[in-house]
Amino acid sequence: MTDAPILSVKDLMIEFNDHTLPETAVFDFDLTLNAGEIVGIVGESGAGKSLSALAIAGLLKRHSMARNGSILFEGNNLLNCDREILRGFQGDEISVVFQEPLSSLNPAYRVGKQVEESLRIHHPEMSADERKERALAALEDAGLSDSGRVYNSYPHELSGGMRQRVMIAAAMISDPKILIADEPTTALDVTVQAQIIELFKKINREKRCAILFISHDLSLVKTLCHRVIVMKDGRIVEEGETEEVFYNPREDYTKQLIGAIPRIGEKKKSREAGETLIRMSRVDAGYRTGVSKNSFKTVLHDVSLELKAGEILGLAGESGSGKSTAARAIMGALEVTSGEILRAEGYEPYGNGMRMIFQDPYGSLNPAHTVEWILTEALTGGKRRKYPGGASAIREAVLNALDQAELSEELLSRKPRELSGGQRQRVAIAEAIISRPGLIIADEPVSALDVTVQQQIIALMERLRDEKGIAMLLISHDLRVIYRICDRVAIMKGGRIVEEGSVDRVYSAPEQVYTKELLAAALMET
Amino acid sequence: MAKFFSPFSDRFGKSAMFRTGFVISMAVLALALAGYVHTPFPPNAMDEGAKLAGISAGHLLGTDHLGRDMLSRLMAGTGMTLAIAFGTVMTGMAAGAFIGALCGYFGGIFDEVMMRVIDTLFAFPSILLALVFVSVFGSGRIHVMLALGIAFIPSFARTVRGEFLREKNRDYCMSARQHGISHMRIIFFHILPNIADVLISSALIGFNNAVLAEASLSFLGIGVQPPDSSLGRMLSESQQYLFKAPQMALLPGIVLVFSILGFSLMGEGVRNND
Repeated sequence: MTDAPILSVKDLMIEFNDHTLPETAVFDFDLTLNAGEIVGIVGESGAGKSLSALAIAGLLKRHSMARNGSILFEGNNLLNCDREILRGFQGDEISVVFQEPLSSLNPAYRVGKQVEESLRIHHPEMSADERKERALAALEDAGLSDSGRVYNSYPHELSGGMRQRVMIAAAMISDPKILIADEPTTALDVTVQAQIIELFKKINREKRCAILFISHDLSLVKTLCHRVIVMKDGRIVEEGETEEVFYNPREDYTKQLIGAIPRIGEKKKSREAGETLIRMSRVDAGYRTGVSKNSFKTVLHDVSLELKAGEILGLAGESGSGKSTAARAIMGALEVTSGEILRAEGYEPYGNGMRMIFQDPYGSLNPAHTVEWILTEALTGGKRRKYPGGASAIREAVLNALDQAELSEELLSRKPRELSGGQRQRVAIAEAIISRPGLIIADEPVSALDVTVQQQIIALMERLRDEKGIAMLLISHDLRVIYRICDRVAIMKGGRIVEEGSVDRVYSAPEQVYTKELLAAALMET
Repeated sequence: MAKFFSPFSDRFGKSAMFRTGFVISMAVLALALAGYVHTPFPPNAMDEGAKLAGISAGHLLGTDHLGRDMLSRLMAGTGMTLAIAFGTVMTGMAAGAFIGALCGYFGGIFDEVMMRVIDTLFAFPSILLALVFVSVFGSGRIHVMLALGIAFIPSFARTVRGEFLREKNRDYCMSARQHGISHMRIIFFHILPNIADVLISSALIGFNNAVLAEASLSFLGIGVQPPDSSLGRMLSESQQYLFKAPQMALLPGIVLVFSILGFSLMGEGVRNND
């Protein structure tokens, strides 16, 4: 599978010294990449994985990093070699694919020109026809069979998956020795993600190109990579063969990371659901996109859902499938054109029974105020003078909510930006439960969080259901999270509910083809 | 006192621009404040024996064409100009921010109508608007302040509206709604603190424009009326004596330049913050 090392990184240290105090972001990074090998770098946000990869690609500003250590590639130390030599490698021998294909493609140029670009720079002797031929071939290799049309398209005319294929074609056109992929599938839906991973495998097999694959998603790394490097806080924690690291981790942190992946297959205990809180029957709903009469856009078609006390219902599906819209319909923020939504008392729109938790706690907590202010405001609805029991009762309720969310009292005087991501989402949960709702609607509550934090938040939500009997509607694209926490699940596609049932039933015996596809893509196991 | 200044030093204090501006503005402000407490001579007292006198022990910065002490007039004039500029900004900002907040937050037909009115106002230079106002209602410092204040409404309204358009769609506003918090409370207690930086920066930059506008109006003779002193008034009076007594033009000119420089630097410092 592998042969001689083509890239070796020794004692790489990355420091920033442009703005603030010099801050070391990566310490003693070592890496050997053999030809034809796929190495994964995993870690949580801020672990330094992207920085290390960017340094290898020569994309860090040279003045902003210390040049400790060495990056040896074809006899040159990329850290202090001549700029011209470095430029000669970039995009030719070493290519990069970034996370967000829409922002890494220039919207003003046709895709074909951008795919050819590295040839224009590195092989100026090539004729235009030759370049086009190579570009078409690269697009086809990247799985875009309609290469002629794609060649002449603008980025906005392509879907997310196609754009990422274009990026891969652009990276692969010069037959690089090393392909660096920085979270290349994070912005994509699961089914597309699975296809892109297959593409990487194919590239590696057919072109013998070494791939450095950076991801926070351990299950992806597990399916794709031969070797894995686990990073934390700028240091390498553990390194080894994928199988070895996953089945026999040495370090505690690696064990913790692997343990945080929700597993499928553990038997779930069945739970008695209570009375119905909200019942949607055959609802068509949508919203106005403009002021004119025909600007109404129906997003939900024939959706029936039932939310019961003490139960967590998962709503799964890819982006654009109408999950969030369904949540908004339940919140009462949409116009219902047919069907009806029956609500128990207190569960009317803006009623006291329902609260929503948003995806990004940084946006949903008011940045100008302290945690105490935010919680007090949520408790009293802005009418703190009229709250029965006065200031002491407010304080007690705030402390109680904080305690429920497993936060310490000293956070009260902090502002959201002074909290960590996990703490912020806990404050958002405290804010939601402080007025004692019976139903919480959580829209991707853990997607913005690192896996270890994700696990803690999920445990907290589970506890709230078990102890307080709070019902939840959990919207997530992550089928593992849904499996871990939900009692029932509804799969959405194109604004319709494709399949609904108990989690055990849907995961073990899906009835619909789409559910099967989705599950296969999401739970990809080796 | 320390508590009052600490948020300032935390948030903006790091910017060299803000610091420089702060020092310059404080110097100008000190001159003006001192003028309210004590001036060497009454600003309007004439010394018949010393017209257009140069620098001397009696009159530290000389005298003008009527024999009035330049230092005393400068102190009083700076105070007058800054006071008018302050009043102008406060009037313009209070009304502008209120209109902008309501327009941005609620949108709809009210926003459409209000913004067209604001657009119309915006189409005229603020000096011209103030001219019209002053010629209808008469001159004098209160009128100048009101006239300029009204002329300043559009720019504040637009800035604040834009900020509200952006902020109202952020999750924290939706979150506030679900807790049953009233619209007015969301506008003034939830959103407004989040745009404080923008407000402070536009107030500081608006302050400059107000200083300049007051000086222009008084220079044209429709602002502050004699015998009262203001920087524009003093510049206006200096015209005929530019060569005989250059200090008459130079001194108010220098103070004007420094006060504008100081507040601009502060404004830029706040705006470039983060």
